[in-house]
Amino acid sequence: MIKLEERRASIQPIKSKLKISILDDGDIKKINQTALNILEEVGVVFPSQKALKIFADAGAKVDFEKKLVKIPSHLVTDYLKKAPRRYTLAGRRPELDAKIGEGNGTYFYSSGEAPSIVDFETGKRRPSILSDVANMAKIIDYFPIVSLMWPTVSAGDKGETAPIHGVEACFNNTEKHLQTESVMDEISAKYTIEMASVVAGGRDKLRERPVYSLLLCSIAPLAQDRGGIESALAFAEAGLPVGFMSMPTMGLTAPPYQAADLAVGLAEGLAGCVLLQIASPGAPVFITIQPAVINPRSGDYMYGSAFSQITSAAAIQLAHSNGLPILSCANFGGSAYKLNSWQVGRENVYVSLLAVMAGADMSFGPSSLIEAGSLLDMSRLPFDREIFQSIDIITKGIKVNDETLAFDMIREIGPQGTFLGQRRTAEELPKLWPPSILFEKSQVIGEKYRDAEEVAHEMIDWVLKNHHPAPLDEKVRQELRKIVAAADQDENLKREIRGR
Amino acid sequence: MDNKELFARMEQSVINYDKDEAVRLANMALEKGIEPVAAINEGFVKGIQVVGDLFGREEIFLPELVMGADAMTAATDILGEAIKKSGGKAKYLATGIAGTVEGDIHVIGINLVTTFLVANGFNIKFLGTNVSSSLFVDQAKELKPDLILLSALLTTTMPNQKEVIDSLKEAGIRENVKVIVGGAPVSQDWADQIGADGYGENAGAAVEVAKKLMGI
Repeated sequence: MIKLEERRASIQPIKSKLKISILDDGDIKKINQTALNILEEVGVVFPSQKALKIFADAGAKVDFEKKLVKIPSHLVTDYLKKAPRRYTLAGRRPELDAKIGEGNGTYFYSSGEAPSIVDFETGKRRPSILSDVANMAKIIDYFPIVSLMWPTVSAGDKGETAPIHGVEACFNNTEKHLQTESVMDEISAKYTIEMASVVAGGRDKLRERPVYSLLLCSIAPLAQDRGGIESALAFAEAGLPVGFMSMPTMGLTAPPYQAADLAVGLAEGLAGCVLLQIASPGAPVFITIQPAVINPRSGDYMYGSAFSQITSAAAIQLAHSNGLPILSCANFGGSAYKLNSWQVGRENVYVSLLAVMAGADMSFGPSSLIEAGSLLDMSRLPFDREIFQSIDIITKGIKVNDETLAFDMIREIGPQGTFLGQRRTAEELPKLWPPSILFEKSQVIGEKYRDAEEVAHEMIDWVLKNHHPAPLDEKVRQELRKIVAAADQDENLKREIRGR
Repeated sequence: MDNKELFARMEQSVINYDKDEAVRLANMALEKGIEPVAAINEGFVKGIQVVGDLFGREEIFLPELVMGADAMTAATDILGEAIKKSGGKAKYLATGIAGTVEGDIHVIGINLVTTFLVANGFNIKFLGTNVSSSLFVDQAKELKPDLILLSALLTTTMPNQKEVIDSLKEAGIRENVKVIVGGAPVSQDWADQIGADGYGENAGAAVEVAKKLMGI
């Protein structure tokens, strides 16, 4: 097994020396203009009286009956200017802060929230429960390549308050920044913001160091969810970052063209950002456009597709041209409907490579998810880790100087010699051979290397048994427990979620 | 144009995915006093069978299937109204009602299921999304469908599938219908647990399950 040692959590963004641009300036201008035209002429549905009123007061054209908001271009432009390009998604310690917009490279998320898990002991699929959220948070805490986290699975045993229980399990098991994408009503939002405030040490400290944030998904095409948008308003009011995710599906919820997907997705994201800038000027926001294709025979949803991912990467230029940070490309475990298939590996490599090279501020990365994000297999994380190791190597480029040109070595060894027995080779060669689960020597005669899946399983087993994330203060833990217990008893919350 | 030719044109309108033509022909049939049941069975249903077969053989994709089903539905909506007035009944493989359960506004999956079933000769009334248990029960009482299709895309709304089944029991009509459940977090285990009759992993599977339950 790769040698693992107990250590405190750390994070590792990947910064690329290789840069790609997918759109030229003319393309960017045209797509931005189409998004503005969509906002001004077609509009976006916000089924929340609160949101509609905020838009109307700011001068947008609001049809309260249809819940449709049309936003004049000048309003969009004016309010986007208030959105910060740089801010921090804070961890519990400053060393774990993701400093967005400061040129540190791409920070990777574990994403979620899958409803099912491959049971670590039996290897069989089952619905996920709260203890799975806790275990995965612990694993995420251990691996530096995961900088930011979502609860990776849902606490399916906790009913309406599953998202709140999930937040508690994560706060208790990792020091890394936590983002939720399932707290989709105002009441749950308030409970979890209170929890984050307890973790941060008060409301002001939470605003200074937001250890918690929200991502909500619009309903393509061109609509928002009531609960989600009201949750977002509560997060922004507390100074917590909010991301707006658009998931246009080509030919289904968006036109069958990549450019149109970008325009529709951008319009959805900008509409959300504008709302929050009106309500809480200067609120940290970001967007993400995660297009997908469908299998045109079965309707199966595929976001690992190359068409989807190059489109998601192209959105980076659009967000940056609007002064917004962006989360791009979704390594959600491939579209394959099979455990650990070749297809998952293929997709996960190009998805994350594109994100890093195109300059995404954040990207959905090593999540241990498969089957298009619907199934968590914890043993997949070491595989994801290998992929990111390769991406890091590739995007670092090549160092060229006197030492690395090594003319002195070449002159000394000369034609037909060997470089193997050299001191410098002894120092450098291990660097060209980073630890990998692929090359564990097998004890079985006739078998060169051990089964990588077995090695990966052992690694995760080690982490679960030996890693101890820095615990929260006992008083804080108890306070979190109290808030969750109160949420469990809150009939208004249950009604809100059921009637959503 | 004699009836035979009219029926052939009706069939062709669905095969050509030509909704306007299908509507025109349906209205023409009513003007001519042709039995609406005959227009559906001899004309439009034959067209959708051809489209369904082409889809099944992977010769066409989903957009064509949806266009064919749209043309078919547009025509049968017109003819169905006339049938209702006259108290007659068209011949379908089976009838059903479909919707996404309360608290859940996901529409795409259940839309596809409805389309697939229509394309396979079922008559499905789509109730929309965020459908309450009481609406499912009321519609089941009124329309007496063979099937009820319940979609849920969230772990938090899955329990409402059970609530619909329980409400059907309370209303004393559970035994009259077969209930099929589906949606991303839904599984065969869940279907068994809540006492559903079937589970469809995707739209194609839903059709197979529906046929099996109907003994087709």
